[in-house]
Amino acid sequence: MKFLKIITLFGLVLTFTNCNPIFEYSVYEADVKTAHKNTTAKNIKLLENTKLESQDFKFAFITDVHYFYNNLRRVIEDINKNKAILFVIFGGDIADQALLKEYEIFSDIMQNLNKPYFTVIGNHDYNSNGSIIYKEMFGDYNYSFEFNNNKFVLFDDIIWESNKDPDFDWLSLELSDHAEFNQVFAFAHIPVDVSNDLPADMKETYRSIMIDNNVSLSTHGHTHSYFYEAGKVDYLIVPALKEPTYGVIHVKDDLFNIEIIEL
Amino acid sequence: MKIKKRLSVFIILLFFTKLYAQEPNLVKDQAWYIPDYVKMQFAGNIGVVSVGAGYQLFDKVLYSELLYGYVPESVSKAAKIHLITIKNTFPIFRKEIGKNLTITPIAGLTTTIDIGTTTFTTLPSKYPADYYIPTAFHFTLFGGVMIHKDFRKPKIIKGVDFYVELGTVETYLWYAITSKEVRLIDIFSTSFGVNFYF
Repeated sequence: MKFLKIITLFGLVLTFTNCNPIFEYSVYEADVKTAHKNTTAKNIKLLENTKLESQDFKFAFITDVHYFYNNLRRVIEDINKNKAILFVIFGGDIADQALLKEYEIFSDIMQNLNKPYFTVIGNHDYNSNGSIIYKEMFGDYNYSFEFNNNKFVLFDDIIWESNKDPDFDWLSLELSDHAEFNQVFAFAHIPVDVSNDLPADMKETYRSIMIDNNVSLSTHGHTHSYFYEAGKVDYLIVPALKEPTYGVIHVKDDLFNIEIIEL
Repeated sequence: MKIKKRLSVFIILLFFTKLYAQEPNLVKDQAWYIPDYVKMQFAGNIGVVSVGAGYQLFDKVLYSELLYGYVPESVSKAAKIHLITIKNTFPIFRKEIGKNLTITPIAGLTTTIDIGTTTFTTLPSKYPADYYIPTAFHFTLFGGVMIHKDFRKPKIIKGVDFYVELGTVETYLWYAITSKEVRLIDIFSTSFGVNFYF
């Protein structure tokens, strides 16, 4: 039957010319592909293979990609060329609408990075089914890792989109062994400066936890612009990827230096 | 969910009024509000399956439909997704390819609203003004081909359309246009469906 033949042929052509995935059911799907899962755990393993003799290394901080994908790629390529940068921390707002497609685009671009990377969750990442996707794709919202006798603590301080308070008890506990490390670095998407998204009492709690636990530097994104405040604890906000910009933190013994790279 | 129930009642009613209205006279024109066809679609970012009814407007220049689409937890890997869609399809031209059989290239767009709890149509009051754009609305664009078959001796069903489409979502298309990192092949997906004319 001619009728059936045409339909079948057309169906086959469409199906085979169109790759991954053939069918999409909703933009809100949270079905993370196996290859994209457990990114944080995979990168912690990768970092374990990076051994260093001296207390002298660099890491990069990039943040707020939203949909500035060309700039993310440019920054990644630049970081790849810099051998002194050993790993990258991404400061949140991986996605703009927290759609699976956006998370996948991000993850695919980050595949080009030739060093480990770690993410902190941003407010945009929580929208729709974003928190489910984040958990599947990356892992815990709050976590830490150690490198070369330094501790890196990544903290979820999103309140409106997540409908919960930041887990300050977790943060205090995680930082309580600070004395065992050369330096301690903290990261959270929403800063306690410039932005008023966090209420005053939470900002105060965060600051006091930083001071009590001897944190060297607390790094953030969210406001899309540069900010630096030196003090007992230093606070840094790195601009968004709206421009091809990133921060490099140079750790040397008990000190650190910050450089903002504008490509 | 109340809105869901109401909607299914509405769709069922559409089916019945359609059948019932046909009974008394087969020659006379139907009342304006009675849909011309009912439809069912698979995929296309408006649900795993979406069902509804539609009208052929302006002398069959536009097919306009109201659909309800559903994504179960097993597919979404999150809560069930309920979507209400207005779908507009434009037949580009019609070509006779057999007896009572026509082929039609089609193109169109849908407007979809999510009626779940994880999205919003107006910004919740906890956010400062313009903090987010509403997350519940999306648009899809598609192109494809439709085959229409008229039945010579209609009993209940007068005719049927079968269509296959390639489509994408407005956000995805925007990313593919503005970024070198997103390829067109990554954003298009397939859908197919049927329309039954009564």
